[in-house]
Amino acid sequence: MEPHRRTANNASAPNLNLAGVADAVSHLNGHRPAAMEAAEFHAAAQRILTTVNTVIDGKSDAAKLALTVLLAQGHLLLEDVPGVGKTLLAKTLARTIDCTVNRIQFTPDLLPSDVTGVSIYNQASRLFEFRPGAVFANIVIGDEINRASAKTQSALLECMEEHQVTVDGTSYKLDEPFMVVATQNPIEMEGTYPLPEAQRDRFMARISMGYPDKDAEIEMLETHQAVSPLAKVSPVVTASDVAAMIATVQQVYVSDPVKEYTVSLGRATRESPLLRLGASPRSMLQLLRAAKATAALDGRDFVLPDDVAGVAESVLAHRIILDRKAAGSGETPHSVLRGILSRLPVPQSAHGQPGRGTAAAAAGRNR
Amino acid sequence: MTIAPPRSTGAGRQAQAGRGTPAGRTRVGAYPWAMAAAISVAVCGAALSLNGVLRGWNWYWPAMTTVLVVALALAALRSVRAQPLLVTAGGFLALGGVLTLTFFRSSSFFWVVPTGATLPELDRLVQRASETVLAETAPVAPNAGIVMVVCAVLGLAVILVDALAVPLGMPAASGTGLLALLVVPAMIKPQSVGVGSFVATAAGYLLILAFSQWFAPEGRLQGGPARSPGLMRRAALTGALALAATLVLPLAIPGFDRGTFPQGSRLNPWGASTGLNPMITLGNSLRTPDGSGRITYATNSPAPLYLRSVTVDSFDGDSWGPDDRSASRVPLDGRIDPGYQVLTDEQVRLVTAIDAGTFTSPYLPVPYAPETVRGLGGQWTWDPATLAIKGSDSTTTRRQEYLVTSAVPKLSAALLAQSSAPARGIPDVFTRVPGNVPDIVKTTAQTVAGSAGTPYQKAMAIQKYLRSAAFTYSLQAPVQGGYDGNGLSVLADFLQQKSGYCIHYASAMAVMARLEGIPSRIAVGYAPGRLTGATITVAGQGSLPEYEADARDAHAWPELYFQGLGWVSFEPTPSRGVVPDYATEAAAPSVADPLGNNDGLIPDTAPAPAPTPTATAQAVPGAGGSASGEGVQLMPWLLGSAGVLGLLLLAAAPHLVRTGTRSRRLHPRHPDLAVPLAWSELRDLGTDYGMPAGDSETPRAFAARFRSTLLGEPDGMDKDAHQAVASLTSAFEHHRYGRPDTGASATAASQDIPGGLAAVEASLRANAPLPRRWAASWLPPSVTRRLGRLLRMPFSAAGSALNRLPRPGARSRPAPDAARGRAGRG
Repeated sequence: MEPHRRTANNASAPNLNLAGVADAVSHLNGHRPAAMEAAEFHAAAQRILTTVNTVIDGKSDAAKLALTVLLAQGHLLLEDVPGVGKTLLAKTLARTIDCTVNRIQFTPDLLPSDVTGVSIYNQASRLFEFRPGAVFANIVIGDEINRASAKTQSALLECMEEHQVTVDGTSYKLDEPFMVVATQNPIEMEGTYPLPEAQRDRFMARISMGYPDKDAEIEMLETHQAVSPLAKVSPVVTASDVAAMIATVQQVYVSDPVKEYTVSLGRATRESPLLRLGASPRSMLQLLRAAKATAALDGRDFVLPDDVAGVAESVLAHRIILDRKAAGSGETPHSVLRGILSRLPVPQSAHGQPGRGTAAAAAGRNR
Repeated sequence: MTIAPPRSTGAGRQAQAGRGTPAGRTRVGAYPWAMAAAISVAVCGAALSLNGVLRGWNWYWPAMTTVLVVALALAALRSVRAQPLLVTAGGFLALGGVLTLTFFRSSSFFWVVPTGATLPELDRLVQRASETVLAETAPVAPNAGIVMVVCAVLGLAVILVDALAVPLGMPAASGTGLLALLVVPAMIKPQSVGVGSFVATAAGYLLILAFSQWFAPEGRLQGGPARSPGLMRRAALTGALALAATLVLPLAIPGFDRGTFPQGSRLNPWGASTGLNPMITLGNSLRTPDGSGRITYATNSPAPLYLRSVTVDSFDGDSWGPDDRSASRVPLDGRIDPGYQVLTDEQVRLVTAIDAGTFTSPYLPVPYAPETVRGLGGQWTWDPATLAIKGSDSTTTRRQEYLVTSAVPKLSAALLAQSSAPARGIPDVFTRVPGNVPDIVKTTAQTVAGSAGTPYQKAMAIQKYLRSAAFTYSLQAPVQGGYDGNGLSVLADFLQQKSGYCIHYASAMAVMARLEGIPSRIAVGYAPGRLTGATITVAGQGSLPEYEADARDAHAWPELYFQGLGWVSFEPTPSRGVVPDYATEAAAPSVADPLGNNDGLIPDTAPAPAPTPTATAQAVPGAGGSASGEGVQLMPWLLGSAGVLGLLLLAAAPHLVRTGTRSRRLHPRHPDLAVPLAWSELRDLGTDYGMPAGDSETPRAFAARFRSTLLGEPDGMDKDAHQAVASLTSAFEHHRYGRPDTGASATAASQDIPGGLAAVEASLRANAPLPRRWAASWLPPSVTRRLGRLLRMPFSAAGSALNRLPRPGARSRPAPDAARGRAGRG
């Protein structure tokens, strides 16, 4: 296998990426993409999901969650045994969007500069010239991320958090939208560098694909026999569409009871005797962003506690650490989170108690 | 409903408001003072009701001073933001100080600090108070002991009410402190608490509630029950239920006119009185509706027989009682010597066999004047001065059967009229005129008997005056007038009101006779009883008719001393007892009238007089039986139907409450409330049909469970119901979690909420089994659960209040720090 094979789906990737940097800078200067109309948003989301589902059979939940993470401006960690379609999901999602996609196959000898880029001396101009690395794309697929050395992993870290690359003291902005979809194989761990907690925390959600059910598997055998359905996938939305969708998600309303619910969920994980490490405040932020994206995908402009609860397992399970005793007694992060969610009171109106606005109005009248 | 705002100390409130505007600071500054005023009004109002337990009003000023001082001390401490515990401790100190200032000034240091010398004084006052409680009947004279106890209790009540209302934050529960005060007059006084006192107490209580609500920090208002809708309705419902219970409950349970606590009999939880002071218990005995302490006796006396237990001969002091003269008593063995010479030879000897039965008293009832008593068990002594026989070493009359021979001179009006010589050779105690005789007694005696010549004429004049139509016999009037009991002040009241019972008549005659120079004393015992119809065979006498007497025949009458004739009894009480032959005036037939219910005693000797139509109100058991025959027939029906009605109402109460709640929710006052109220209704429907909403269940999850569990197929007949639940859920989510400014669309979406809910309920009924359906409409769990919560509320509130008391060094939640520590190690 080649030490670092770069699959550039888009032929003119480097130049475009430099143009993308300029876009990102202008974006930072105050230009924000306009939010999308609800109907338009819904249609776009449906197109993406339908396309992904034609390629990956019976995994609509995973596909929806992946889209959720994209719209919430997070990064996705796909963790499962080999051969269940992790990479296929990542590639399909990337292919449905008309944007730049780079794929990095992580290996132990992959160098940080392979990811971020390197300055090369141009003999013609007698100047050092920056050659962007594989991370300069809208969607970066990091395959088998735990096979790379810690140094290389942490090079990716800065990109994921800051959306920028710093080489030789110069920072280069990454294009928006920017999403890292990393895959990881939990079985064959020998000779790998498992992601440290700090780095796992950068991923908004972790999904296990799981095996497809019987019908889906039969259908998969049927459709994937001759030619990969991936080849037939063509982009259904543009990068600017995605940016507008992200803007829509950002405008989703979060009411006080939902914030309260989110915070008490986080506190419950920190106070649980089964957990050695609870959810961090950053994870609360990411949880709420994911919930907003879920709400938007569901066609609402406000978040429900259901949204928070729905993404809580995917968002929090890879961040919390079980107590040794709890792990010994067969608990998993998922089961602990489910237990907490089943006990967490939902803030909703008690009998006869007025809602927010009316309460204030009533108090005002009575005062 | 208990109004229990979250606990917040006074200091805490001030601190919270202190961060606010200056206006807020001044407003909170008034809070302790306003609260102190409210508590003072309530406690002083409750203290008003003690008039009638204590005589007069003199005790009220020290009591009020105590209340005010304690309340002001609490307020002052609170206004300087002292710790809650310190405030209460300061209240106790203030109470101690003011009590010392009022009662122990002489033995204290700097008037308010008790010293070692205070303790004996305190002990003395407490002793006095306990004597008063044990030995006297209400209204008691306000002596220093009882007043001190009352002041102390009122001060403690202030501290209790304050502690409940302010630091513990349970102003509604503070009513218990006031109730504790009101219970005393309610049990002791026949006319209960009294309107004025109740109004004052209630006003103070309402002020306490109002102040604790008005001065609450803003943050506590929104979630508080006071601001929730339907408060007025809830209040009205609660009030109506309480009123209904008050009306229905007495029908269902044994009433207070008989049974354990008959009205007017006064509660005596320590059992029947042992008669330490028969003067005290006499009124109570007379008011007993069913005669207890039944005595039977058989006698050969031709005239109605009075049984005498004891005499009262000293008329000094607040409360009269028998003087035992234990030093001069003689053991009862052999003949009893009256100790004076009787000039007339004609003595009538009587033999009386007495069975004391359940009557329990240390004083032995015997006819006057006893010569021998046989058949007694235990230790008995007799007093040479009065011939009263008393058991010693806790010997009582209970279950005693004994035979008495007694001798009285055969008296006649002529004999008495001849006895005009001044009395000689009797103890001084029977002639001493008490020092502080009220003027009205003196003038009455002078007016009535001053012009009469001989002692007999004087006595007859007094008796005639007391038996005149101006006086009425009443057991209740003295109680209501506050002069129940005995003593010179009571006597003055009696002569003014001209209404009372035997004690008043007897003591009036005795005191007035003494004022006129006739030695006198009051005899206490039994008036002549009724024939039982049985006969008793007594050795040497053949068979004698048996009589019975019980507590309702308890009586007091005066005995006057006539030189040469001895002690002679008179009967000044109208409608009680029998006027002796020698004391009747042929010229005044009206005097002979009130033989009342005793006419059976003298069937042969006297023409049986018809009961006077003007007979005063008197308990004549059985007499009204035929008259009220219709009422007796009707009453069970009335009571029965009222009871059935009450039971039906009680059974239907949950259904009615549920229906009321639903109609309230479906017709909200404000359109914004329509959706949340309808959602509450949906949740209650779920509860009623066996699927209560979980705490951790989101609206959406609840709706999904509701639809899948309780409703049928979504496409079938229950389509409307499914649609209604779905649209209501969506509307509620919009209302609860959506943007605040999109309320209009939510309201528009929930146009037909009542119709939707009706469809839901129809579908629920169609899908539920019969028992569930029945329970949902007649015993809805949503109501019963709430009732259970309501009943538990005081306990849980008290529990959480206890939990929230500051404990030094205790950390409520160690989890976050510990978790961080563990994470750091990991």
